[in-house]
Amino acid sequence: MSLFLTQLMNGIGNGAVYASLALALVLIFRTTGILNFAQGEMALYSTYLVWFFTDRNFPVWIAILLAMAISFVGGALIERVVIRPVEKASPLVLVIVTIGMFLAINSITQVQFGSDAKQLPRAYPGKTWLPGNVQISADTLVLVGVLVLECVVLYLILQRTKLGLAVRAVASNPESSSLLGIPVGTMLMLGWAFAAALGALAGALAVPASQPALSAASMQSILVFSFAAAALGGFDSTLGAVVGGLIVGVTQSLTTQYIHALSDIVLVVPLGLILLVLLIRPSGLFGSRRVERV
Amino acid sequence: MNLSRPSRRRGSNPLRLVTLLLVAVIIAAACGSSRKSSTTTSGGGGGSTTAPSGKVIDTSACPAGSDTVGVTGNTITIGTSLPESGLYAAFSAILKGEKSYFDYLNASGGVEVAGKKYQIKLVDKDDQYNASQTVTNVQSLIDDTKVFALFNVVGTKNNLAIRNTVNTRCVPDMLIASGAVQWGNTKYPWMLGSELVPYPLEMRAFVDYLKAKKPNATIALLKAADDFGQSYEEALKTMIAGTSLKILQTQSYDPEGSNVQSQVTSLAATKADAFVIGATLLACPAALNAEGAAGWHPITYMSGTCVSKLLLGAGHQNSDKVISVTPLLDPADPNNASNPAMQLYMTNVKRYQPTADTADGIVAYGWSTAALFAEILHRSPALTRSAVMETARTLDGATGVGLQLSGSSWSTSAKDWFLGEDFQLIQYSVSQGHTNPIGSLIDDSGKTAALSPTSLLNG
Amino acid sequence: MSRTQRTIVGLVCSVVVVAFLAALPHHYGRTNTVLWAQALYIGVAAMGLNLLTGYNGQVSIGHGAFFGLGAYTTALLMQQHGWQFIPTLLVAAPMCFAVGVAVGFPALRVKGLYLALVTLGLAVLFPDLTKHYVHVTGGTNLVSLDTQRLTPPAWVPTSVSAIGRDDQWAYYVTFGCTLLLFAGLVALVRSRFGRALVAVRDHEAAAQTAGINVAFVKVLAFALSALYAGVAGSCSVLILTQASADKVQTFQISIEFLVAVVIGGTATVLGPLVGGALVVFVQHAISATLPKHVSSTGTVGRVIANPASSPAIFGILLILFVFVLPDGLVGGVRRLWGSGRQRLLTRH
Repeated sequence: MSLFLTQLMNGIGNGAVYASLALALVLIFRTTGILNFAQGEMALYSTYLVWFFTDRNFPVWIAILLAMAISFVGGALIERVVIRPVEKASPLVLVIVTIGMFLAINSITQVQFGSDAKQLPRAYPGKTWLPGNVQISADTLVLVGVLVLECVVLYLILQRTKLGLAVRAVASNPESSSLLGIPVGTMLMLGWAFAAALGALAGALAVPASQPALSAASMQSILVFSFAAAALGGFDSTLGAVVGGLIVGVTQSLTTQYIHALSDIVLVVPLGLILLVLLIRPSGLFGSRRVERV
Repeated sequence: MNLSRPSRRRGSNPLRLVTLLLVAVIIAAACGSSRKSSTTTSGGGGGSTTAPSGKVIDTSACPAGSDTVGVTGNTITIGTSLPESGLYAAFSAILKGEKSYFDYLNASGGVEVAGKKYQIKLVDKDDQYNASQTVTNVQSLIDDTKVFALFNVVGTKNNLAIRNTVNTRCVPDMLIASGAVQWGNTKYPWMLGSELVPYPLEMRAFVDYLKAKKPNATIALLKAADDFGQSYEEALKTMIAGTSLKILQTQSYDPEGSNVQSQVTSLAATKADAFVIGATLLACPAALNAEGAAGWHPITYMSGTCVSKLLLGAGHQNSDKVISVTPLLDPADPNNASNPAMQLYMTNVKRYQPTADTADGIVAYGWSTAALFAEILHRSPALTRSAVMETARTLDGATGVGLQLSGSSWSTSAKDWFLGEDFQLIQYSVSQGHTNPIGSLIDDSGKTAALSPTSLLNG
Repeated sequence: MSRTQRTIVGLVCSVVVVAFLAALPHHYGRTNTVLWAQALYIGVAAMGLNLLTGYNGQVSIGHGAFFGLGAYTTALLMQQHGWQFIPTLLVAAPMCFAVGVAVGFPALRVKGLYLALVTLGLAVLFPDLTKHYVHVTGGTNLVSLDTQRLTPPAWVPTSVSAIGRDDQWAYYVTFGCTLLLFAGLVALVRSRFGRALVAVRDHEAAAQTAGINVAFVKVLAFALSALYAGVAGSCSVLILTQASADKVQTFQISIEFLVAVVIGGTATVLGPLVGGALVVFVQHAISATLPKHVSSTGTVGRVIANPASSPAIFGILLILFVFVLPDGLVGGVRRLWGSGRQRLLTRH
């Protein structure tokens, strides 16, 4: 029983990591209607920024805040410089642009910071408790805590502020929003800026909690599962991203523990699950039905 | 054509045929893939294929005029392929060590082969660790650059992908950067592994250690789900046969990632006395950290491929007392600082590659492998591909090469196709920040082939 | 230009291009021949993907899996069962078609973004399946062909199969497949089925009411695109002398197909071939040619000469390219040509 619970905690920890990146994906999708392949690599660059500041002896929390601020500006700039020129082009062109960024940002990160893996300190003491032989680590608690915090902040901003209302209005109908006097361009920039800052926070906490070091591959191993989480939960649902992430994480760790025959092809289980869910509900568990873009 | 109502007959018959074909092929492929390989003519490893001349290298089937390609004037051009961009770009640190050595060698006059001094020119190509890119890189190095030999090409699959090419074109694929046992396949005499310890020997050394330390220990094994992990698993099983040691559980992980948390949780629940980490890259420290988090403190052995400043550092406190092997001196160990070989290394890497981290074992590996290549060239009686390959295949006790351990001697022979069989068992100390030797140097010359999984050795 | 004049110009151009491609391996060494062959097979896979994505509007970022399936089928049949190359196509192509049908059916329910993600899952899962089931060269999931298996059959003229030039045979086989599949594509696009593809893409419900069997059209598009990718994979075996798969590689090639479609020209017949050539030669130029021509002094020179920056250069060029020509090279040329003609016509 304690083994089962420990594996469950492992799964929740991993799931929280997937979910936090999936949240950034959902945010961009809801505000701009784009599937951003470069989301993980943007978070990678931000996380390297955190390392850059901690390496220069900034306290970890300050480093994270600085990286979030820079990412916020960077996200807005990317929207303005890279996305704006093609926003009216076909969705396929947008996919290609984000794939171009995916390739470019990973490579720029390595050129700027070096290809060797980096030690990224935790922002809190890395402890583990063993009540009744169930392993509970500070990492898992922090990851889940941050996930909840992210959800709450996103919810409050998007649903309870004028700004959020404007962002949502732009997402659902840019033309009418513009007629109402909402600065559409600014709102789109804000969507990207928030997603980039969110990615920075997710990366800075998820990497030291779930990986031994920060490397160029740090986000690509997460991103596939984040995509899976978003697809499972529904691509325009915040709640869906969280639930999807946790389901993917937990099935992964339980498969490893209990289905030995699949231990080297663990991916079969979450992917099979997603296919099944999508066959029954083509827009994911919590997605709204009208999503038919791309 | 009426698209709206495809006739039933037209739709279903070809489909049924296709399905049948599909099933037939899958069955055929599945049966053929793993078992067909037993039709090998010559037994691998221990057996030798001696050429009519009494030599290991037989040039009778080589393309005419291929033996002297790659030498122009006093320059020997050699080529390598390794990841320099993409997710595995960190391997490019090896190249920094190699370039430092060749720059140093060229500046001090070059290498003397059969009485004449030559400069060495190394041409590197980026393959992103992608085997098909290695193939086109190597074809281009052979046909366009016209290299004399391939040197320290990185990766097991990458070298397996070029083995038919190098063997039929008679181009030496020298000092392969992989400790895999596949380089002992006697059908491919133009390939030779580098001084890296062959993976099965690591298990031999660790089981000997365990037998002395805790003769009835229980073992948990984490292995990569590929040929690398298989080498550890099969060697471990062979070695513990007939002892009181026992494997309690084996877990495998996807070697393209580093997420081993759930696997280690499961292994920790066995409370085994010893833990073998047959993993590589970041999965090693990830396993150490997961072990620490589980409050499990077994005698831990970690693959020799993970002995680097970075990977051990990433294990934090959990790297303490971890056991592994190395064929080379640890550049991070201050006790080695006074060693002249180490001083030569430090000075020249700083001079020629100022951005390289001299304390990084992977740079030291590049430096030492380049030194070994120069040593083989120097010992060759003539500057031809076959003579150099023959020299490498019958290397008689190379000592003091690069950062080679004192007392270690690297040898090969017609009967022994493995080079890196002299090595040291080591243990890491977190407080000191470097590894320390356990016991004396291990000499396992000629013992690799018998411990190697035959499906890998002859496959 | 009159219709006959256009036809004549078109014919002359095609003859020149085909003649150039046919003579190519006799003028180039191995490296260039291999690059051209790679351009062709990526073009073939992109042609198929264009059928699915360009003409039918279903996005896939997982066709690397079908490419891999074709490659493994051919490589295993040749290496383990001693087959000649061409017969393996008769197994690989129907097999990829069949798997395409199997994947195409769920794709009927799963649309747009979600379909893209499910196909991505396919690309990620395929390498794991090969690792699980295939243990060939050195006990790994790599299937490397023995040299004698790469040599052409006896009926091939020796001028093509000179010793050490198995690349020429590989090239001609790929070239042949390309011509055949290109002709097939042209016929398909111009047929009633081609118009049905576009109708379904543009308005599914309307197509349905017009009497088009939407499900049949979509599944067939998926299966055909899988077949094209599979044949491309089969051809790659001869050129690369092996089949192998890992996640990075399968994902990367899936992306290359999509990039070839878009930069060549979505829903154009020639676009994917042009795009395939661009993808191969631009990447080669960045990693092999560019570093030779920049001095590694100064910050900019050092960054460009650093091999680690080659993906960045490719990514940035890709973005700039779609800024300038969002409808791809062929689409862009056609647009410019069209507007030029319009101007000429209105002036007179």
